[in-house]
Amino acid sequence: MSWKSKIASSLLICLLFLTLSGGVIASQGDRVIRPIYVITRPQSSAPDEYETLSYLTAMMTELGIDARLRVVPWEQQSDLVWFERDRWDIAGWQMTARPERLDPDEFIYNLFHSSTTVDGYNFIGYVNPKYDAIAEAQRVTVDPEERRELILKAQEILVEDAVYDFTVHPMISIVYNTDVFAEDSVVDMAGMGIRNFWTYINIDPIGDQKAIILNSGETVQAINPFYISGTVDSWVYELIYDRLMRMSPEGLPEPWAAESVEWLSDTEVQILLRDGMKWHDGEPVTAKDVKFSFEAPMTGEVPMYKPFVDVISRVEIVDDLTLVFHLKRPWAAFEAASLAKINLAPEHIWGPLFEDLKTRPENAESIQEDVPIGSGPFKFADWKFAEEVVLDAYADHFAAPKVDKWIVRFVTNMESTLGMIQNGELNFLASYSGDASLLENLVSRNPMLSMVSSVDLGYRFIALNHNRAPFSDPAFRKALVAITDQEFVVEAVWKGYAVPANSVIAPALEFWKNDELKWPQGGLEQARQFLKEAGYEWDNKGRLLYPSGQVEEHTPSF
Amino acid sequence: MIEMTSILEFFRQDKFALVGAIIYILFILVALFAPAIAPYDPQEMVRVDGRIAFNREPEKNFKFGTTNMGRDIFSQLIYGARPALTVGFTAALFVMVVGTVVGLVSGYFGGKVDSLLMRLTDVAFGIPFDPFVIVLVSFLGPSIWNIVLAMALLLWRDTARVIRSQVLSIKKRAFVEAARVSGASHSRIIFSYIMPNILPLSLLYGSLAIGWAILTEAAVSFLGFGDPSSISWGYMLHDAYVSQALSRGAFYWMLPPGICIMLLVMAGFYISRGAEEVLQPKLRSM
Amino acid sequence: MTLNWKYIGRRFGQMLLTLWIIATILFFVFRLMPGNPLTAYIDPNFTKEQQEILLEQFGLDKPLFQQYLVFLLNLLQGNLGTSFVYRDDVLRVVARVLPNTLYLMLFSLIIAYVVGVLGGILLAWLRGKKGETVGIILTLFTRSAPQFWVGMLVLAIFSFRLGWLPSSGTGPAGVTYASEWAKFTSPVFWKYMLLPSLTLAIYLLGLPLLLMRTNMVETMEESYVTIARMRGLSERRVMLKYAARNAILPVVTAMAVGFGYAIGGNVVIENVFSWPGLGRLLVDAVTMSDYPLAQGAFLLAAAIMVFMNFVADLLYSVLDPRITVEDMG
Repeated sequence: MSWKSKIASSLLICLLFLTLSGGVIASQGDRVIRPIYVITRPQSSAPDEYETLSYLTAMMTELGIDARLRVVPWEQQSDLVWFERDRWDIAGWQMTARPERLDPDEFIYNLFHSSTTVDGYNFIGYVNPKYDAIAEAQRVTVDPEERRELILKAQEILVEDAVYDFTVHPMISIVYNTDVFAEDSVVDMAGMGIRNFWTYINIDPIGDQKAIILNSGETVQAINPFYISGTVDSWVYELIYDRLMRMSPEGLPEPWAAESVEWLSDTEVQILLRDGMKWHDGEPVTAKDVKFSFEAPMTGEVPMYKPFVDVISRVEIVDDLTLVFHLKRPWAAFEAASLAKINLAPEHIWGPLFEDLKTRPENAESIQEDVPIGSGPFKFADWKFAEEVVLDAYADHFAAPKVDKWIVRFVTNMESTLGMIQNGELNFLASYSGDASLLENLVSRNPMLSMVSSVDLGYRFIALNHNRAPFSDPAFRKALVAITDQEFVVEAVWKGYAVPANSVIAPALEFWKNDELKWPQGGLEQARQFLKEAGYEWDNKGRLLYPSGQVEEHTPSF
Repeated sequence: MIEMTSILEFFRQDKFALVGAIIYILFILVALFAPAIAPYDPQEMVRVDGRIAFNREPEKNFKFGTTNMGRDIFSQLIYGARPALTVGFTAALFVMVVGTVVGLVSGYFGGKVDSLLMRLTDVAFGIPFDPFVIVLVSFLGPSIWNIVLAMALLLWRDTARVIRSQVLSIKKRAFVEAARVSGASHSRIIFSYIMPNILPLSLLYGSLAIGWAILTEAAVSFLGFGDPSSISWGYMLHDAYVSQALSRGAFYWMLPPGICIMLLVMAGFYISRGAEEVLQPKLRSM
Repeated sequence: MTLNWKYIGRRFGQMLLTLWIIATILFFVFRLMPGNPLTAYIDPNFTKEQQEILLEQFGLDKPLFQQYLVFLLNLLQGNLGTSFVYRDDVLRVVARVLPNTLYLMLFSLIIAYVVGVLGGILLAWLRGKKGETVGIILTLFTRSAPQFWVGMLVLAIFSFRLGWLPSSGTGPAGVTYASEWAKFTSPVFWKYMLLPSLTLAIYLLGLPLLLMRTNMVETMEESYVTIARMRGLSERRVMLKYAARNAILPVVTAMAVGFGYAIGGNVVIENVFSWPGLGRLLVDAVTMSDYPLAQGAFLLAAAIMVFMNFVADLLYSVLDPRITVEDMG
């Protein structure tokens, strides 16, 4: 660490000297906004983010800001944004579609409530007591219509305050082989495209090939019901492990491993388990297993799932197939965020493992079974490290799949995947984040391929750090929103395969989406107007200055 | 010391070296006069009739077509000569200077100094090259200078070994012995007798290093660790890869940068080919 | 062929020293890198408390020097630590991909060196004729083209346009080889390995080819060859029986060194062909700030390289008595 601290201390000395001498010259120079570093991921991993932020940097420069594009790999970017919340100014970010996010609670609450500003998802540092109240209220408002009013209001506030600089909801385009699968045996899930659980159990092989072979750019890191490790990993979990409820294709929680889910009161819900379910090793699935699965995250050993069971005060077993969950307080999203999220794990296997964990410093995430046992519609067959994961259909499942295998191959070369879907090495192109018009082209040339495009539940946005001026000023944020030309981003960056975004709630969630949001898109002219009205000025060199009386207090991020 | 005439003679005699030199000169000229030759700014998203010209095939206005984001490939190709030559020559300089000094000091003074420097060289040999460059670039940030630095930290190793071998064999020669016996100072022996004999070897490895440096920069850019502000040929290939150029059949995008890299690297090899007798088995070149 | 044990012993000691220096450099480089290993776990409500627990688990809360000593101690016991991302023993994680890299490298080197040696002999045969120049130019082409570029083109032509060979992985989807040996000897596996190793071999063959050629040309001018010629032996016999046999020795040494270089895995090739090897693992570990894995993989690659250099040195001293001990340093 020595050379690092040497540099730090010499910088400190320089800074001290400059401040002392500069203090004498208290001039207009202090009102000049510091160089702003616009952080983006590299072009290879996130071409859309890179291009969008390059464009924004150019536009900010037009406004008189010394904006500089800074490319950092994903890990460094998330490190900065997440762990150094007082250092970054503006960064590209995105929220991905996950079935649990079909309920608005996660986005509305976790992202913007003041309680999560320190180390939670509110990394932008947005604090608004009015918003807090609404976010808290919607959590406990069980009546859908009442709740809807609150959610609409919340979205309005987010736009008024220009909290995020939203860009687009991308379109998810997925191609599959119609020589192998019956067309329309795929299921389009709200905001998720056809790459989802329902497709996997419904897709119908009509030829000789009975396996579904899909691709992923990332490898699987772990197969562990108590670990949230990666996007691809979650595809595998959804198939191997069952849950009490699942998010339906329409985006609402419906009973799954549970025969019925009955609310006895605002804080008590009775679960009746389906009869005859078995684990992949043959043992029966009972209420004991369910209780264990929900109580395990309450111990210290499962940090990632703890928040989803926090609201449960106790799980009561009534009989072999019946349980009652007692909650500490009402939670409107309980079904989506907890019952549809917690993986059911066999107590006879994990019980002893957890006992053992008590004696060791590691937690449950460090455990990797050789053959993970679940009760889902697919069972584990093979895991070729860094190459593929193979699952066999579990014929005894109540919703047994029609394919006999589910195979995900890790292909790092995106261009290869285009070749592979054509030559049959893949029959379901699940991950393709390249140029979608190319995909369309491919499909039109190949009669055996079919493409389904859906608007993503997730969205891309430009994160602005509310902790650092001028981003703490809503007028400044609004100006940035005004110059972020969404039409341009949709056309140039996404080649038309995206939809402008103005809310954390996607158009796919018709019930919750506020359609009447006014999103400023007036370009440089409107931006300058917002700034003038808020007191900003420009000096004779065209540089943007803080309103009079305000000086630059922060140092550049880099 | 090396005379100008002998260098020119060398180039004139060996056809390979001549061709290599011509290629270098051509690229240097292109790099110097890039703003005059290139029709557009390499970063500019060109518009035709108000719309951005994405993925255009080669035509009158765009000699090599345009990229996925509407940038002129020909202009990028021209400007790409700059980072290529910068990286190449800077790395080569480092390699030559550091490698020669280490080899010279090690071979001439022997003993503990030799041992120490050779251990250092062993360490440099033991570290896998491409991964190390990537680690350092992730550490220091994706700038062209960091790539050069990372390469320079390891690339001198071959030169050092080879120079040292050569110095050892020169040291044993009669005229050096004679000079030493007659009381000549170290610096005199080094500059008058040893340097002239190792300089050609030094230059040889320097010209090889240009090629290695350019190829490494291309690989690093390809993997996404390159410098987006200076569009090198490696970066162009990365861009093409990331935009699925091959699937689009955009050979006009995929081929030219690769060919340019090939030509410049080959030029370095051609020049070194001329010094055939230097590639001796004893010296274990890369 | 005498073995100087003192020399071997000394070289071995130097090898260990080198390894220790490399291990130390790697440790400090990775620790000083910006980037927080905890970024692998960013998740809702990951509180400061939980962060601290995690840091403690990984031993990252202790002072740097103490971490270093622990690292060294573990190293001596053959323990390379636990990967942050995979939550498994680094050695075990690396062991899963190392065979793939080894096979690929071996295959590529064999192709490259066989073709290279034959090509070198051919070019020596063609000495002075036009064919020689053409041959040299072609060889230099292979050495100047970026590997990923060649790989992409090779893929586009042989895999996608012609459909002759597969484009990724080590085997067809859903198929498991019965054992490591079964995999190694399986023609299906070779089919999957063919394109990546071809691409790699194209780059590698330049060295043995030119080296062999130079050596042949030299040896052909040696006195014993002249004598053989004077004795009336055919040119071809002279070449193959005398010249080639001696010329090949340094090439063998170069192959040993080449293997060492190649063990770092080839990130670029592994990326283009989605080959599950050490190169990719290493780079991914670096970008994910998975210190133990990055360190461990790096160290392993370095250890093999240093060892192969040591082997090459031995071969040299044994095969070429003209080299003195001093020359080797």
